[in-house]
Amino acid sequence: MKLHRVRVLHRERFGDHALIRYRWTGPPPEPGQFVLARSAATSHALDPFLARPFFAHDHENGTTSLLFEVRGRGTLLLSEVAEELLVSSPRGRGFEVQGGPVALVGGGVWAAPLKLLSRRLEHTGVPHDTYIEVPRNAPNDYAVWLAQGYPGARFVHTGDTAGAPWRLFDEIGDLARYSTVYASGPEETLATTKKVSEGRVAAQLALRETMACANGSCYGCAVPVLGYDGAYYARACIDGPVFPAEALAW
Amino acid sequence: MVARATSLGVELCGLPLQTPLLPAAGTLAAEVLCGMEDVYGAIVPKTVTLEPRAGNPPPRIAETAAGMVNSIGLQNPGIDRFLADLDEYDVGLPIFASLAGETVVQFVRLCERLFADGRATAVELNLSCPNVEHGGLTFCSGPAVVGEVVAACRAALPGKPLLVKLTNEGVVGNALAAEDAGADGLTLINTVPALTVDAAGRQVLVRGGLSGPAIKPIALRAVYEVARMVGVPVIGCGGVTSGTDVAEFMLAGAAAVQVGSGGFVREPREILEEFVTCLRNAGLAAAELTGGLR
Repeated sequence: MKLHRVRVLHRERFGDHALIRYRWTGPPPEPGQFVLARSAATSHALDPFLARPFFAHDHENGTTSLLFEVRGRGTLLLSEVAEELLVSSPRGRGFEVQGGPVALVGGGVWAAPLKLLSRRLEHTGVPHDTYIEVPRNAPNDYAVWLAQGYPGARFVHTGDTAGAPWRLFDEIGDLARYSTVYASGPEETLATTKKVSEGRVAAQLALRETMACANGSCYGCAVPVLGYDGAYYARACIDGPVFPAEALAW
Repeated sequence: MVARATSLGVELCGLPLQTPLLPAAGTLAAEVLCGMEDVYGAIVPKTVTLEPRAGNPPPRIAETAAGMVNSIGLQNPGIDRFLADLDEYDVGLPIFASLAGETVVQFVRLCERLFADGRATAVELNLSCPNVEHGGLTFCSGPAVVGEVVAACRAALPGKPLLVKLTNEGVVGNALAAEDAGADGLTLINTVPALTVDAAGRQVLVRGGLSGPAIKPIALRAVYEVARMVGVPVIGCGGVTSGTDVAEFMLAGAAAVQVGSGGFVREPREILEEFVTCLRNAGLAAAELTGGLR
């Protein structure tokens, strides 16, 4: 996998979440595509061993940004990169954008790809509403930080227990007024989106999967999907990471 | 283009290979072969079984210190579809088909299909899968089992180079058994059995095979020990991420070297270019490195 050395232009951190902007003059990311990233400073030692896949959060005027959760040593190192990153070109199949109106449904930092999607929808004149769930116990300035990234979005404070995404859909109301729901968030949010959209509205779900090769070789990022001959495992890296909700064998 | 002033060609089981690099089975999809024509000496597609296999449920991979654990479960479309799509792997290089079965009969059937088809230049037996006739132990569980399956496959592949890929456990005895049974070459080693645990969730994360730089010294030891004991060529495999790694495996006795998960984190072309630099610095051709420890 060819990784390109790029200059970090900006980074910020809020709690467990990190935002990095870097100069990118290659092919711009499509909404829902991902890039592999690793710190240039530690790349010679291959430590951590694998690059990390992140959804492209935004792209404008030759600047791409990644928004991610700091979960372990690999993401911590990335969040601290001050000068140079190694990144791949945008990869995978992203959201399919058609007519509107559409709803964008996200969960906290995992809503990352919806920013670029909303920019595309603005550009193409597709009416859209954005809903982002925020854990009830999150600090108030967290919502402020998110609001800066998603102007115009409605922030829904959910509980911090299982089943919380239902509150989000209570807030959204009748899905039938939308032609498509685009979702990116925790598994519970995606599963709920699939459930409430079935038979009512098309839904496209952005899946976050652990990846190794990111080019279809290793079959590590397996996603159960429905095929003509029954369920099988697709590869999130080349068949996704965005999947139609009805294709997923969840 | 990789600079070719230095001689990269090697011979493996009587086959001339343009470079000593091969992809390890299951680490190079047909979709990404474009542009690799001058990097590898042969192409090794993902291991195929007689019937389609869905593979294991996720999670299938977990990163570890200096490597990763995978538990893919040999997901593949089965031999019928494999043969129907085999031309996707044809980039003008020899194709080494990697086969796995759950019984000796399955291995033999696969060999018969490959032999009848004729497009695969060589066959590599993946003996790391469970043998249902021996309580689920792998075909690498001992020399007797290795000898049985290799002899049966040898008979089914008259005149076609037969490689046998072994795990590290019991590797010397199994290698000798494979050679005695007619193997033309030995690929050493497959992933090392390993486990990762999700402490927060108090559950096993991935139970599978460890690959990456963490296993390179283990693989080097296996190549070194076996290459001194057998008369057939050895293909080194395990943790190769640089041209120096390739040189180390060849010095330890390998005639060729497979790149597996290292190809996920380094470009194979860069690894080959580094190897060329190693050869230039040593003033040697690739083939002269094999077993060249002082």
